[in-house]
Amino acid sequence: MSPLADAQWYKDAIIYQVHVRAFQDNSGDGIGDFGGLAQRLDYLQRLGINALWLMPFFPSPLRDDGYDISDYYSVHPNYGSLDDFKTFLGAAHQRGIRVIIEMVLNHTSDQHPWFQESRKSLDNPRRDWYVWSDTDSLYHGVRIIFVDTELSNWAWDPVSKSYYWHRFFSHQPDLNFDNPAVREEVWNVMKFWLEMGVDGFRLDAVPYLMEREGTSCENLPETHQVLKEFRAKIDQNFPGRMLLAEANQWPADLRPYFADGDEFHMAFHFPLMPRMFMAVKLEDRKPITEILKQTPKIPDICQWCLFLRNHDELTLEMVSDIERDYMYDEYARDRLMRLNVGIRRRLAPLLDNDRRKIELMNGLLMSLPGTPILYYGDEIGMGDNVRLGDRHGVRTPMQWNGGWNAGFSSADPEMLYSAVVLNPVYGYQAVNVDAQHRSPHSLLSWMRRMIEVRKSTPVFGRGTIEFLSPSNHRVLAYIRQFGRETVLAVNNLSDSAQAVELDLSLYKGSILVEMFGRNLFPRIGELPYLLTLGPYQFFWFRLRKI
Amino acid sequence: MRDLIVSELSKATQEFARGVAEFLPRLLVMLIIALVGWVVARLVKVVLRRILRLVKFDRLSENAGASQLLTQAALPSSSELLCRLVFWVTWFGFILAGLSALGIVGMEDLISRFLLFLPRLLAAVGIFFLGMIAASFLSRGALLAAVNANLPSARILSYSLRVIVLFLTVSMALEVIGIAEQTVLVAFSIVFGAVMLGLAIAFGLGGQDLAKRVLERRFPDQEGKQAKEDELSAL
Amino acid sequence: MAEESILSDDLLRQLISVGEVDILVGLPTHNHAKTVAHIAQMIRVGLVKYFPRERTAIFNADAASRDGTSDLVKAASISDAREPSALQSLRTLHCISARLPGTPHKGTALQAIVAAADLLRARVCAVVTPETTSMTPEWIDRLVRPVYRDSIDLVTPVYRRHAFDGILITNLLYPVTRALYGKRMREPSPGDFAFSERMGAYLMGQDAWRQELGQSGAEFCFASAAIAAGYRLQQSFLGAKERAVNHSTDLVLAMRQTLRALFWSLDEYYPAWSGVTQSEPVPTLGSEYEVTFEPMRVNRKRLHEMFRAGVNDLGPVLASILTAPTLEELKRCANTADATIPYSDDLWATTIYEFAASYHRTVISRDHIIQALVPLYRGRVHTFLEQCRGASAQDLEQNIEVLCQTFERLRPNLLAIWTKPEGGS
Repeated sequence: MSPLADAQWYKDAIIYQVHVRAFQDNSGDGIGDFGGLAQRLDYLQRLGINALWLMPFFPSPLRDDGYDISDYYSVHPNYGSLDDFKTFLGAAHQRGIRVIIEMVLNHTSDQHPWFQESRKSLDNPRRDWYVWSDTDSLYHGVRIIFVDTELSNWAWDPVSKSYYWHRFFSHQPDLNFDNPAVREEVWNVMKFWLEMGVDGFRLDAVPYLMEREGTSCENLPETHQVLKEFRAKIDQNFPGRMLLAEANQWPADLRPYFADGDEFHMAFHFPLMPRMFMAVKLEDRKPITEILKQTPKIPDICQWCLFLRNHDELTLEMVSDIERDYMYDEYARDRLMRLNVGIRRRLAPLLDNDRRKIELMNGLLMSLPGTPILYYGDEIGMGDNVRLGDRHGVRTPMQWNGGWNAGFSSADPEMLYSAVVLNPVYGYQAVNVDAQHRSPHSLLSWMRRMIEVRKSTPVFGRGTIEFLSPSNHRVLAYIRQFGRETVLAVNNLSDSAQAVELDLSLYKGSILVEMFGRNLFPRIGELPYLLTLGPYQFFWFRLRKI
Repeated sequence: MRDLIVSELSKATQEFARGVAEFLPRLLVMLIIALVGWVVARLVKVVLRRILRLVKFDRLSENAGASQLLTQAALPSSSELLCRLVFWVTWFGFILAGLSALGIVGMEDLISRFLLFLPRLLAAVGIFFLGMIAASFLSRGALLAAVNANLPSARILSYSLRVIVLFLTVSMALEVIGIAEQTVLVAFSIVFGAVMLGLAIAFGLGGQDLAKRVLERRFPDQEGKQAKEDELSAL
Repeated sequence: MAEESILSDDLLRQLISVGEVDILVGLPTHNHAKTVAHIAQMIRVGLVKYFPRERTAIFNADAASRDGTSDLVKAASISDAREPSALQSLRTLHCISARLPGTPHKGTALQAIVAAADLLRARVCAVVTPETTSMTPEWIDRLVRPVYRDSIDLVTPVYRRHAFDGILITNLLYPVTRALYGKRMREPSPGDFAFSERMGAYLMGQDAWRQELGQSGAEFCFASAAIAAGYRLQQSFLGAKERAVNHSTDLVLAMRQTLRALFWSLDEYYPAWSGVTQSEPVPTLGSEYEVTFEPMRVNRKRLHEMFRAGVNDLGPVLASILTAPTLEELKRCANTADATIPYSDDLWATTIYEFAASYHRTVISRDHIIQALVPLYRGRVHTFLEQCRGASAQDLEQNIEVLCQTFERLRPNLLAIWTKPEGGS
């Protein structure tokens, strides 16, 4: 499709996050690949999503699920070849699905040829490509991110007999962005993929690009400078391509990543996500309204990315101590579920497999301001396996049917990259795509319908938001407006029936049209508008003035 | 001549005898009625005594202070008094009914007037009794309020209130009976004055601080130092 | 139903939007603009600090204040508090406000608070008086926690008071509660207390109690109902009890309210207390008795005067209430030439018991009986002050202990005259 079709396509996108390895295995080796992914594009098209975000598929020793890259210009043989990727990309574009890939800039694998050379000697031309030091006392006090495995941000390299800087695992040395050669090469990498037709990059771990003594080494102005340079080049050479920032920061610290619309197009709204879960448990809209009120305004062309779950743990870094304790006590009583500073569970298990809660959370995801991201498998309510270690429990194979390997692969079950979820509640025989396709009332069918409704109006992706404050604090209600379109979303966050009176005096005279069934609701009159909601129920109303 | 006197005498005697003969049955009837009345009245008295004991009438009158008055006047207790009153009234009523049987001219009129008077008499007694209760209650209340507010001459206040209320009561009772209606007018004026006094007390209690201050100014030696409030709080 | 008149439509709407709560704090007010802002703030800080996860609400039951009290309660927010900004509430903190109909009675406010707690299904309801200027957020914790966590039904406070503050309690309410009800509850008519959902439901079901509560002096009804019904009690030490400087105390009104409640409860709960043989301590969190001795202005001469005048002037009234020997001794007491009144513990206990019995038998109008006690109380205060002149805290406590034991010892006398057959004349 023409990249100029819509310069702000990302505002109307519904993104599906998937790992090639976990989706479909075509080659029969027990590991998902691009051939399989291409096969399943029809399913994705039917679901209604229009953008794919692929987890890293580059060659890698796979010690961090592919985030430790050893070759930027190729595809890991497990997932196919570069040609396979190109075929897949073409097929996706044909179905109107854009493709966003990962670009891990901050660090590489220690198996990457660049690092292999860099460590060889102090005179090596690539020496300066990484951050070396004779002592581990530089950048003292900078926080450790993987607190459960790492003890320091410096690692001792026995080959070059010096320390190298790594913000993540010790086998992921940080690239030195102060070096123009590094920046040049990174741009080449980006160019390579953009020329191939990729529609956007999710830049991983962007706050940590640069280091400066006496700082937290996060969100430095120098980092922003580097990013702006990349963005300028992209705008110049590949207009319409999108940059998505992965920066787990407070909203105020996230704002600089949008700059004046000349840095990132999109960024994840990390602080909102745990508060959505908290609000449902507390049965109180306060956590959500507060964080959104504190969220700064961003440039018009920019957009927040909203998500419920992803491949990582449900991070609780961006909440206060009291909130973190509450989340742990309510959502992760079993210590095994806690990892780093978060909870490693999928959406359905977190919500006790309560269909109503799952629908409510997805409803919030789709109606709050931002571009929603669905994590693969959550559309059918897949479960997890916390005993798989690290975060592998939420990265199990996609469950297509109740048969051999859940339809994921024709290989022997022992060969699968990861065991399929087996337990009677979430196992592949209970939860799979085929079964849910057959029923018009399954979660999958409901998700399809929901995505359809969401796409029927640009209000959700592009509109403003204004919160109503009914005296019933268990109801979250807000108005989305874009142009002449006005939508009212009312959500019951509690598990008991609620009555709520809304002050809709500004919209007096409008008729409410419920968006799923398209039935008419009474016109807004003089008195506050009374609505009653069942447990975890939500309404989307289009306001029409006739 | 003698025959005439004899015949006249015998005629007169016959007439007298006839009159007596006519009268005697009526007299008998009257006596019977009176006897019956006595029995009925006695019965009523006994029943009433029982009833009064049940409703603890004596205690009520004790509250009213009526008992004390009666004992001072060397009269029997109020319930006993009431019983006797009712006894006599009932018997008297029967006697009256009997009298009417006698057929004496003018009797009927007198009787009916008496019977009309009776309810008013009873009403007057009732008013008097209620008045006694009210007087006792109000005077006691005033006494307590005055004592607690540390007003001088609390007793006098209380006593005067009692007198006024009693006076009003008596005048009202008399008016009901129909005696000395003019006096009632006078009594009313006095009552009016009493109400004023009552209001003055009420305001005095309510504005006792102000009153105290006024008194302090008037009688600085006596009241000055003592009138200061304590800092004590009971609760 | 009486409830319908307490819960106005507006209040009901507010209760609906709050839904269910775990902790309700009731704040009955009437023209308390001077002190209420501080109290409301302390309540909020206390709730957020000690119960951050619980669903909480503050209910200001305002009896027709004309000085903007209810607005002040609403306006007090945590951001004004002097607590560190680490204080954060997870949930919306509700503040319900209602103007109660009818005459401004503390009783109606308490009635509304108990009804609201019942409707909101609050596990704990705490009531806080808006008069205390020395309240801290810890009070909320100490009142609520025993009910919330340890299943206590009624928590009454223990304060650090001035030695001569609350003599009506130390010399009358506490000894009587202790001797008759068998519980050593230091504050039987508390301004700050907390009760459980179970007890609230029980109280709502008692028609007589509800009617009685509508009058004033209702706090004693809580304690007596709890003791009589056998609920679990506890005392919590809160801290110093200080009131606003211009706080006026009308002794007669205070006594009328409190004693009415006391005597009513003796009538109502006779079966419960008549069988009690000895008193037992109430479990206490924190210290049980603390006393301060700042200089306090007391007009002893006036007390003596009023006592003497009272006994003499009220002779006929007292004659209906007290037995002849007691009245004799009282008269002797009043008319001594000494500066001190020898109002002994024994005589005081006997006085109180005879008053209680007379009240029970309604020898004269009940209100008058209570009013007749006021000058006698003044005399007792005088004696007590003399007794404790120059005393230490231990001595003071010892004096009260001795008084209590006197009350307990003379208990059988009350039982004897209570059931005396009706005196006919």
